[in-house]
Amino acid sequence: MMLAVIAAHFVAAALAPALVAWLRRPALLLLAAVPAAGFGWAVAMTGRVHDGDPVEQRIRWVDELGLELSFRLTTLTWVMTLLVTGVGALVLAYCAAYFRRDDGGLARFAGLLTAFAGAMLGLVLADDLLVLYVFWELTTVLSYLLIGHNPERKANRRAALQALMVTTFGGLAMLVGVIVIGQTAGTYRISEVQANPPSGDAVTVAVVLVLVGAVSKSALVPFHFWLPGAMAAPTPVSAYLHAAAMVKAGVYLVALLAPAFAGLMPWRPLLLTLGVLTMLLGGLRALRQTDLKLLLAYGTVSQLGFLIVLVGAGTRSAALAGVAMLVAHALFKASLFLVVGLIDRATGTRDLRELSGLGRRLPVLLVTSVLAAASMAAIPPLAGFVAKETAYAAVVDIAETGDGTGVGAFAGWALVAGLAAGSALTAAYSIRFVWGAFATKPGVEPLEASDCRFPSVGFVAAPVVLAAAGLVLGFLGPAETTLLEPYADLFPEGVHEPELALWHGVNTALLLSIASVLVGIALFRWRDGVDRVEGVLAPPTDAESAYRAIMRGVDRLAVEVTGTTQRGSLPSYLAVIFLVVVAVPGGVLVAGQLWGGDGVSVRAWDSVGQAVVGAITIVAAVLAVRSRRRLKAVVLAGGTGYGMAMLFILHGAPDLALTQVLVETVTLVVFVLVLRQLPTYFSDRPLTSSRWWRLGLGAAVGVVMAGLALAASGARTADPVSEGFAEPAVSYGGGHNIVNVTLVDIRAWDTMGEISVLVVAATGVASLIFLITSRDGRWRPDDAIASAPPRHGHRPHRNLWLRAGRTVAPEDRSILFEVVTRLAFHVIIVFSVYLLFVGHNAPGGGFAGGLVAGLALMVRYLAGGRHELDEAAPVDAGLVLGIGLFVATGTGLVPLLFGGDVLQSAVVDFELPLVGHVHFVTSLFFDVGVYLVVVGLMLDVLRSLGGGIDEQSDDEDSDTAEPAETESSIETAEGVR
Amino acid sequence: MNAPTIEYAELAPLITIFGAAVIGVLIEAFVPRKVRHPVQVAVALLALVAALVQVILLAGTGMVAAVGAVAVDGPALFLQGTILVLAIISVAFFAERRLEAGGDAFAPAASTLPGSEEERILVRERMLQTEVYPLALFAVGGMLLFPAANDLLMLFIALEVMSLPLYLLCGMARRRRLLSQEAALKYFLLGAFSSAIFLFGMAFVYGYAGTLRFGEISEALTANIGQDGILLAGVGLMAVGLLFKVGAVPFHSWTPDVYQGAPTPVTGFMAACTKLAAFGAMVRLFYVAFGGMRTDWQPMLWAVAIATMLVGAVVALTQTDIKRMLAYSSIAHAGFVLTAMVAADQTATAAILFYLATYGIATLGAFAVVTLVRDSGGEATHLAKWAGLGRRSPVLAATFALFLLAFAGIPLTSGFVGKLSVFTAAIDGGAAPLVVVGVIASAIAAFFYVRVIVLMFFSDPAPEGPTVAVPSLWTAVGITLGAAATLLLGIVPGPLLDLAQQASLFVR
Repeated sequence: MMLAVIAAHFVAAALAPALVAWLRRPALLLLAAVPAAGFGWAVAMTGRVHDGDPVEQRIRWVDELGLELSFRLTTLTWVMTLLVTGVGALVLAYCAAYFRRDDGGLARFAGLLTAFAGAMLGLVLADDLLVLYVFWELTTVLSYLLIGHNPERKANRRAALQALMVTTFGGLAMLVGVIVIGQTAGTYRISEVQANPPSGDAVTVAVVLVLVGAVSKSALVPFHFWLPGAMAAPTPVSAYLHAAAMVKAGVYLVALLAPAFAGLMPWRPLLLTLGVLTMLLGGLRALRQTDLKLLLAYGTVSQLGFLIVLVGAGTRSAALAGVAMLVAHALFKASLFLVVGLIDRATGTRDLRELSGLGRRLPVLLVTSVLAAASMAAIPPLAGFVAKETAYAAVVDIAETGDGTGVGAFAGWALVAGLAAGSALTAAYSIRFVWGAFATKPGVEPLEASDCRFPSVGFVAAPVVLAAAGLVLGFLGPAETTLLEPYADLFPEGVHEPELALWHGVNTALLLSIASVLVGIALFRWRDGVDRVEGVLAPPTDAESAYRAIMRGVDRLAVEVTGTTQRGSLPSYLAVIFLVVVAVPGGVLVAGQLWGGDGVSVRAWDSVGQAVVGAITIVAAVLAVRSRRRLKAVVLAGGTGYGMAMLFILHGAPDLALTQVLVETVTLVVFVLVLRQLPTYFSDRPLTSSRWWRLGLGAAVGVVMAGLALAASGARTADPVSEGFAEPAVSYGGGHNIVNVTLVDIRAWDTMGEISVLVVAATGVASLIFLITSRDGRWRPDDAIASAPPRHGHRPHRNLWLRAGRTVAPEDRSILFEVVTRLAFHVIIVFSVYLLFVGHNAPGGGFAGGLVAGLALMVRYLAGGRHELDEAAPVDAGLVLGIGLFVATGTGLVPLLFGGDVLQSAVVDFELPLVGHVHFVTSLFFDVGVYLVVVGLMLDVLRSLGGGIDEQSDDEDSDTAEPAETESSIETAEGVR
Repeated sequence: MNAPTIEYAELAPLITIFGAAVIGVLIEAFVPRKVRHPVQVAVALLALVAALVQVILLAGTGMVAAVGAVAVDGPALFLQGTILVLAIISVAFFAERRLEAGGDAFAPAASTLPGSEEERILVRERMLQTEVYPLALFAVGGMLLFPAANDLLMLFIALEVMSLPLYLLCGMARRRRLLSQEAALKYFLLGAFSSAIFLFGMAFVYGYAGTLRFGEISEALTANIGQDGILLAGVGLMAVGLLFKVGAVPFHSWTPDVYQGAPTPVTGFMAACTKLAAFGAMVRLFYVAFGGMRTDWQPMLWAVAIATMLVGAVVALTQTDIKRMLAYSSIAHAGFVLTAMVAADQTATAAILFYLATYGIATLGAFAVVTLVRDSGGEATHLAKWAGLGRRSPVLAATFALFLLAFAGIPLTSGFVGKLSVFTAAIDGGAAPLVVVGVIASAIAAFFYVRVIVLMFFSDPAPEGPTVAVPSLWTAVGITLGAAATLLLGIVPGPLLDLAQQASLFVR
């Protein structure tokens, strides 16, 4: 049933826009029927609740998280339900008259308000902490939308956002608290938590977090500023939010948890202090307001403080007084707000400096207001008085005996004094409200009948009913006591058994009541003086400016952080990653944890040669970093590579050294080819500070990496896998060069993958850099040389060392280079083939051979330009690559035909005439494939990075020197013929 | 030499996706240009749906396949299923062609120079670049493999297979191409470095444990060989690579630049799927392989989680570009997931799985909405241009607001349940202080999400503001699904949570 009532609100909210569109304002009356029905249901449940037989409903929602839609109607929730639904229904009905016929956002507003009522109802009925939180957040979001109604005004938006921020912050704090409580208690069910409250430090923190949520929602100091700001909302919304809903949620939460957690250490000091402070602060502020609505808003802040003190005190009397006060407050505050709405609508202003003589024009409102304000000021025989009497009795008990709270006498009497002072302020601003709204003030022109429109009966009904209820309740003290008792009984028995009544006899409480009203009257009478005193006492900074400062600070922080960390600069991003590398593994390194027990023993060098080579390498590396010319840096970096090769030789690894030297050379040349197109210097900037720290970081990364490498090799516990290679290399692979046998036999699969990647890379380089996607014979040298533009001073018929040499500009030609190239090229090619063939037993192999052949081609290119390259290798690089891959794959597959494994090799020894004994291993074919792939790669690289760039710069030249070129090309054509 | 046994049935989803990706490459080569686009889209969608069906059929499997290299278990299958669902929606967004007058979000040819004559001709002739589909499929394949990888090598291969196509995809935006190419280059360079560091770490771990298999590494930890330093350095270095992929502070800096520069559908795809895959892999690695030394890595994750949540949330405040803001929000969300990771138990796994699924859906939807708000220069990503969007296009603005509320973790959206489960897991795992930081970060984050909502609904529209393009069915259906799922998972999260719970056991 409870879920149905809540759901009905949301269904009604969903239907609201359609209803409003159809019926206009009367639709609100229809919507009001929903909370009214809820009210009726709650009334019908009175008996059951009072008999201690709570109505429960549980529906499983999310089992995995223990989320359960569980609702429970106990005394406290019953009271809240009555308020939420009752006031909700009246406010909705009131809205039907409040809004103008042509109010634009009515449909949206009606839906939101109904939904809000539903969410509030859900909040009070929920018996599950998480469900409660869900509804809590829902009320936050919905109230935000309600406050932000009429969004055109910037002030509204800001107020709404402020309310949202503060309450969301509180809500999230509460979520953590709720989760901690739920996890520690093993259940999220509120009734079970109440029955067996968990304890421990975590729970204490959690309860404080929950209280932060409650305090922020109920606008207690230091979060009090959002509430008056939220007055931008339409008046009925304020009435509902401040009287029955939203801000009461905090009070309700405290009341709900007080039986379980009031005994925890921070509970009472926190709530009692904040409560009293809020009560005083709100009251003082209320006295200074000229806007009736703001006056009430600060009044609400003050009353909320009072309520928190009562429900948070955790004694039986205080609890009873608290709930009674809750009811009384809802009745009088809602009534007063609605009256303000009426005044606003009737006269067009809420400013008490402009209102005068209204009491005579609208006597009904006057009576209503007097009743409600008297209840607020705690004047008999109204509900407010009855509640306050009991409240005084309760705090006096605490002050006199502690009443089981452990509050000391001094603190107790301070509490009494604070509440009495607060009550005096309450009385004063109550009078100020009635006086301000209705009195005929000197110096202000009284309102004429024509100035104000008399409101309809329906419009006035709601505040009148509420005020009258306050009066009636005043006389029903004993009955109220009986109804509310079950809640109060959750607390341990106190010094006196509390009772709500108009007359308790002459006691401290009565004296306090009288005194506070009298002081209140005095405060009002001499309000100018109070104003002055308060002006002096007003704190220089208040919580709102603190909120603003925090918001600004966070914004500022965000800007600063973004500015320093997100400049979009790749080096700085990378620096962060490197810093972590230096810090984390570097830290481990420095801590010595990597070195194992006995550390790593480092031998400086085996031979002096190593030391020399090492020193040269280091010097080259340092100079490379220091150089500002690109070319110099590349050459020096190459120097480190050659140093490496030297070290290999000194270690007795000629094969590695050969490969290293070749790779280094090829890389160097390719670099140079590319560098032609780049500026000579890295940057024009001088050495800036940023370069120094980059240098430092780079050095640090290098040191850490070196250290890690050292540590890693020092930490070896297993035997190197290569130790097992030597013997099978001979017996199975048939070769004495272990490196080569490893490449073509033992690890042939790896090589297979690598050359495939090489082919892909070559194709990628070719196609990415110059879009050579169609390999359509660009390399045919005859046409190219014939059609190539000759250089100035060229004579066509002369004999040439290199055929394409004439396509090169004379100033770029070197006859010596051409001659040497002519002579050496074929020798180098033969040497490369030699390397290929002997690789199995001596240094060399397909890879090294291929690189040597590639270097030969490179020399041809450097000597004679791109056409000479085509002359030297009149084939498509793709073809070479393809054949290479085909040969390698084929060699791999052939053994299958003979029943072997893929890439298995066979050793054949035979005698060949003239040559002699031949020791032949079939893996040579595989090596041939590797050779071809490397040659193809080199060809591709030379064609794209060398020839391609030449061609492009030629095009650019011819663009700039168009006429001359055209002329000479005609000449050439003739000359060739 | 015996050929290893390969469990083809259990690996079917992976094989399907990679196979389709290869077919996609062949389509590029052999199918005429005119029909290439529909064929590619169809192949991609078919493959994704087929793989999804296969994943669903595999549900409940718990085994290690491919000679111990690939795990087929609950977390893997859950994440694979989620990634596939998200990828299907992403491909639908890729295929959107109404917004650019017949073009899609990608440059007609990524190799043309920005602003060149060639580019103009291709644009004029409405050329469509269809390579994105095979690339996306390769990336999806990598993403499926990443959380399932059960040995270090496979982990690295999956990482690269996933990342390389993404680098390319980032550089293919149709508009603002230089920004896009810069993003791709940054992503690639930083990604390459972090991968290298990851690999280095792997080598250390291998050096310590003498094995690549997660399960055996875990045994090696219990055997306690000594040499903890090597292990610690290795774990730290590997964490760099993984934290880079999930976008955690301090390895987050690429995120905003790349999210902003990449074509928006790709950003959505990346933000949703990469995060899923990377967290999946990270959780498996840290729980299965390094579970025995959690006390060593937990402090590190604590620090990273705190920094990630706070930096993500705080820096997002100042963003004026919606894509950058979403990028920072994704960083903050990575932090929220890390809070649960610290707990390192089965509940945490379930919470992470659920969180990732809901976050992925909302993210994809949010980025799709971004593609629809356009002005003459393409997408209008500057926040100021979003002012008053709620007046012009209430439905779209409301949808976006829903996604934002889900990010903020407001109840009745999937984000709330996700956050709740993650925080619950963290508290159970003894990380209550982390949760407090998480809540503070959530509050800050809520502020900027709400600010966008305020901007959309409560501000006056700019006079020359952007228009909301009417998308084709591709995008419309995708966004609707995302919004529906976000809402539905907020109200009835039970079934998915249940699924995540059942799927939360790692095979060892």
